[in-house]
Amino acid sequence: MNKVFIFDISKCCGCYNCQLACKDEHVENDWTPYAKPQPEAGQFWIKIQENVCGTIPKVKMHYIPMLCNHCENAVCMEACPEKAITRREDGLILIEPDKCKGANGCKACITACPYNAVYFNESLGLAQKCTGCAHLLDNGNKLPRCVEVCPTDAITFGEKEKLKEQIKDTVVLQPDSGCSPNVYYKNIPGKFIAGTVYDPVEKEVIIGAKCILYSKGKSVETFTDSYGDFWFNDLEAGTYDVTIQAQGFAKKNFTGLNTAKDINLGDIPLEK
Amino acid sequence: MPANNLKENFKADKQVIRGSGLIGSMDSGVPTLVDVKDGKIIRIRPLYYEMNYDKKDFNTWKIEARGKTLEPPMKGLVGPVGLTYKKRVYSKNRVRYPLKRADWNPNGERNTQNRGKSGYVRISWDEAADIVASELKRVGKKYGPEAVLSQADMHGETKHLSPSHGCANRLLSLLGGYTIQMRNLDSWEGQNWGAKHVWGCEPVGEMMPAANLYPDIAEHGELLLFWGCDPETTPHPIQGMMSSRLCYWLTELGLKSVYICPDLNYGAAVHADKWIPVLPNTDAALHLAIAYLWITESTYDKEYIASHSYGFEKFEDYVLGKEDGIPKTPAWASEKCGVQEWTIKALARDWAKKVTSLIHGNGGPAIRGPYSSEPARLEAMLLGMQGLGRPGVHQAKMIEWWIWREYYPLPYQGVVNPSIPNFSEQVRPAGSMNQAEMVPLYMGKHPELLKLTELMPNPPKQSIPKCLIHDAILNPPVSWWGLYGFLEPDKEQFKKHTYPAEGCSEIHMIWTDSPCWITCWNDSNSYIKALQSEKIECIVAQHPWMENDCLMADIVLPVATRFEMLDIGADIGSGVLTSVFLEDHCIDPVGESLSDFDAVVKIAEKLGLKEEYTGGKTHEEKQEMSFEGSGVEKLISFKNLKKNKYFVIPCDSGIKDVPPGLRTFFEDPKNNPLTTPTGLLEYSSSALKEHFPDDKERPPVAGWIEKSESHDERLSSKRTEKYPLICMSNHPRWRMHAQGDDIIWTREIPTMKIKGQDGYLYEPVWLNTAEAEARGIKHGDIVKIYNERGTVLGGAYVTERLVPKTAYMDHGARWDPIIPGELDRGGAINTITPHNITSKNATGMVVSGFLVEVEKVTDEEMASWRKDYPEAFNRNYDPVTGVSLSGWLTDEKEGN
Repeated sequence: MNKVFIFDISKCCGCYNCQLACKDEHVENDWTPYAKPQPEAGQFWIKIQENVCGTIPKVKMHYIPMLCNHCENAVCMEACPEKAITRREDGLILIEPDKCKGANGCKACITACPYNAVYFNESLGLAQKCTGCAHLLDNGNKLPRCVEVCPTDAITFGEKEKLKEQIKDTVVLQPDSGCSPNVYYKNIPGKFIAGTVYDPVEKEVIIGAKCILYSKGKSVETFTDSYGDFWFNDLEAGTYDVTIQAQGFAKKNFTGLNTAKDINLGDIPLEK
Repeated sequence: MPANNLKENFKADKQVIRGSGLIGSMDSGVPTLVDVKDGKIIRIRPLYYEMNYDKKDFNTWKIEARGKTLEPPMKGLVGPVGLTYKKRVYSKNRVRYPLKRADWNPNGERNTQNRGKSGYVRISWDEAADIVASELKRVGKKYGPEAVLSQADMHGETKHLSPSHGCANRLLSLLGGYTIQMRNLDSWEGQNWGAKHVWGCEPVGEMMPAANLYPDIAEHGELLLFWGCDPETTPHPIQGMMSSRLCYWLTELGLKSVYICPDLNYGAAVHADKWIPVLPNTDAALHLAIAYLWITESTYDKEYIASHSYGFEKFEDYVLGKEDGIPKTPAWASEKCGVQEWTIKALARDWAKKVTSLIHGNGGPAIRGPYSSEPARLEAMLLGMQGLGRPGVHQAKMIEWWIWREYYPLPYQGVVNPSIPNFSEQVRPAGSMNQAEMVPLYMGKHPELLKLTELMPNPPKQSIPKCLIHDAILNPPVSWWGLYGFLEPDKEQFKKHTYPAEGCSEIHMIWTDSPCWITCWNDSNSYIKALQSEKIECIVAQHPWMENDCLMADIVLPVATRFEMLDIGADIGSGVLTSVFLEDHCIDPVGESLSDFDAVVKIAEKLGLKEEYTGGKTHEEKQEMSFEGSGVEKLISFKNLKKNKYFVIPCDSGIKDVPPGLRTFFEDPKNNPLTTPTGLLEYSSSALKEHFPDDKERPPVAGWIEKSESHDERLSSKRTEKYPLICMSNHPRWRMHAQGDDIIWTREIPTMKIKGQDGYLYEPVWLNTAEAEARGIKHGDIVKIYNERGTVLGGAYVTERLVPKTAYMDHGARWDPIIPGELDRGGAINTITPHNITSKNATGMVVSGFLVEVEKVTDEEMASWRKDYPEAFNRNYDPVTGVSLSGWLTDEKEGN
């Protein structure tokens, strides 16, 4: 009956409501025994990561909210010398403040967590993190604060069994961590290669130019749109070649394009 | 884990409702549920509409198009500022008790030259009220009532019973009159001074009417041009997040969104199918090149132009260069606007081919640049060339869906438009049209209420445009056209006014309840110098926070926020559902603060005018009367509203039959004329031709103005030798203008503030990667952005999200002067915005699209400022909130 979070990145508008509502709930509010107050600033039990991809004018953004993954194999639990970190029946993992205090600020869980999701509260001497708003769930609320304030319904929260369908097309962060996270993401964009194709003599974009992307013996085709633009989206990091051809123009090749970063090939003139 | 019987610990003592909108009047914004425990706000959550009602009672709206349906969610879509408002209420920057500027003595030395530098001391309410009352009497007696200037316009919290603005006006009226600061139309400058002369569309020149625009666009539209519009930024502090959902849905339907703006703004970042970066304030060139292509390629609606327009041939001559010898070709435009010639052509052809609407959000070229009248007119004219009013061809907005509108662009309005009155005096000079005449639907109808809120005696005989206050103080007399009242029909633009008005004194005292002139208006360094003038003997500010113009005041009155008073609210703008809610007691006032209304009562008492001022009614009585006059009393009794706290007004199903936008004009222009002199779309303005035939800055035919007597802010200017970047200043991403700069949790967001190496949180200055490299600037460096008018410090935000040759800094960051009038550390970019108005006959402000340079601040330079201005650097600085109240107290202990 594990609780899971599913984030649809294609619906995240970057409003930060989730990050902010978490603070509204946990800063200055004492929810012992679930959690002591979060410090006034500096902790992010859910944190938005901003990703600006490409170069002007082929720039796109996406935001990835990150929080405690409430892992099946929670390495933080193992790391804690005081056994202060426990898993509830619903799968949510909590750090019990009173027991954590006994560890005298060892920070073992902070070091162990591959997701950097645990913070240290200097003034209280405690490790702290997302509680899944368990104090609310146990008292009649259906959703954690971050979920209820999402204006675009980009976050789904519920029982894993019931959300099987939605989980199908998702990924987890750092799948190799061995932690089996319970936080899932869908539609995290891959890398892109994009450009604008134009005729330098007529000073016109070329619409309908055939653009072919080659990688590892496979190819994908697309055509330039009404702005002369082509986009190869959702690419894995790797090396690619691109060929652009349009009737009446010489073919143009780009080779060895490395998508470690998104690639804007710029405004590409085709010679006659 | 949880032990038994925990429930009580987690239960709030009470749950109340508060609106979260910050526009300042009328629309309370998205309703939120506020949990209070032990007298403190513990959380702010969305209101769930079904909490006390059944969804079927709402007769919920929906838009069906292309096999998909858009419906409202059953919760309020509160945005990031509304959600974090607890930190605003309990901010370290709250004014907790009355303050007096330490070296201002009303019976001795006033040291007006020290405004912006002096610290403050705590005084009692009694002393504060005594001083203000006796200063009002003294100044009135010595110079006449018009010597008192009231600055009472907009953009504080939306409150009704004790409004953020205009409470003092009621008292000043009772004292015999005053001078009013007339807000220029900062949200619609270009449309008001320009587009009105193309299509009329009173009262502000945006396309009207706006009924059913989005259902029509969803059904028929193909292309959306978001022209300087950021649907993710500008709307949220006013009306929440429905525009986000709408944008996603329009994309889901298959409409293409092209964003034309210098920055990859926050809407473009997630919604754009195509971003066309354009240099700031050069959009008129792009417009003209599009017209050139349509004319030369015959891709515009000639029949429509023949039947619906006036003066098109003059425009055609101008575009083709028959008038000035310069054809407005894509090559010509490319040089001005920085968009490649081939992309201009592609845009023009795509627009001509597809059913296209223009989407706005109180930003972009038509609002706040030099000559903003021109792009605003050109845009309306281009829409006309593609058959404005036909299915899917409109100008539509992502913000202010309710404002001035009988019918809304989204079909969420209810069977009743709730009208909750403001218990303040309207801004209306003697003889002007007042708001009630222009937009009667806002006025409450309860007979007793009408008596209480009716206009007070002695309306101000003297009015000064807000954008000219500095000139009025420093260099009177001052003359200008129009802008005598806030909303005026276009013919009023041809009346000339002068300050001082006949028989009126110059101003010698200021009472402000809108203290954000410095961080929101034009050339505020000049304004700061004006307020340091000996002429201004006393400045009173009333505000909840110690920020911006409060730092120039001699007396600061502590004001309570909306969470600390009784009120009644209405959400008419969120686009989800309309509702009315009782804002019952939430928390006690912070410190010694009082509501705006009660703060003025303190002064009225000293003047023996309490009874006249209050009308003898309590806030509880006014709350009930306001409801009884709202129109909603027909749908629910006050008793039941008291019980349920809120009421959702059922949607009006009849709305869907109202013709969308300008459809009736499209179908039959003769019988449904526009309000222009000819009743047609005017490509050559007959009114401008009649009144200002020789105006080179706003000629009868709209055009491109390279430079003129008012402005010299283009890249072709000789000034670029020193100031080679065009500065763009947008509505702030994480504030409502000046509101909310002290919210700790938004200040942690990387686009809100940048931590300098000295630990200070600087306002970001965006620079394109190439421009930053050319200047040796790295992301996070402390930089200075400057021109002849002064210098502002900021934190470098180096990005690919901004076009080169440009710098970008949001407005509204709190002013933190190092040298008042010259050098600011807080990021108040408006201190260095242009002085002159939109153009010589158009009384608007210019606060974006002006020349600057950006440089890294060296350690030596910073050290020299620290040495020369130790008092500025020694102000108490909270590492997360910034400079706050305690930084301005002369005896810092008093802040504890």
